[in-house]
Amino acid sequence: MRSLNASDPKQFIADFFTSYMGELLRSDGDPALIVDRYHTPDVVQIADGHRMDRDKLIAHTRPVRKNRPSGRLEVHEALADGDRIAAHYTLHVRDRKRALAVEVYFFGQFTPDGRMRRAKMLTRTIPAARDGVGVDVAAENGRPAPDGREAGA
Amino acid sequence: MTAKTYAVSGMACGHCAGFVTDEIERLAGVTAVAVDVEAGTVIITSDRDLAVAEVRAAVEEAGYDLVGPGR
Repeated sequence: MRSLNASDPKQFIADFFTSYMGELLRSDGDPALIVDRYHTPDVVQIADGHRMDRDKLIAHTRPVRKNRPSGRLEVHEALADGDRIAAHYTLHVRDRKRALAVEVYFFGQFTPDGRMRRAKMLTRTIPAARDGVGVDVAAENGRPAPDGREAGA
Repeated sequence: MTAKTYAVSGMACGHCAGFVTDEIERLAGVTAVAVDVEAGTVIITSDRDLAVAEVRAAVEEAGYDLVGPGR
């Protein structure tokens, strides 16, 4: 995954989140370095009206790592226009305490090297799939970070 | 009935708020939990005095960190 322009939009968004989460979970390294590989320094995410900047994204890595979620991203539809992408996907997650599925309507803007610059998301929790969760995102470790550096570098 | 405000770090969205609420609501005597994700605070209403240690344990069980005692 290098560029939104050179990728299938559905594959791009699936690869972005799978690779980011996988790198967070298989490494105990400085989360700021991982966040910075996948986001611009001035990144702003707004999820259900909650604003997250770089500092909040970094703070959010701690509960992610503690809860050790496994899961898969099911992308239903994605459309790209230049550096922007709109996607409808469902995140199927199981952690040490619960299983849940979160349906997401996503609008984002990415840099040419594949880092997230802006994102707005509307989410809703839906009943988790009866068959549980598919692949372990921590095992999805074959893809390089958007900026091309290796994991943990 | 008492209501105290605690500072919690790492919450980013409504799902985070739900996870923290679920764990705190399990504490005996808790009658209401109000999470402010933007402020990073949780207001806990209870019919008994809660020990900081038990609130911390509940927050950490949800995966988050208690960074400020009840006020």
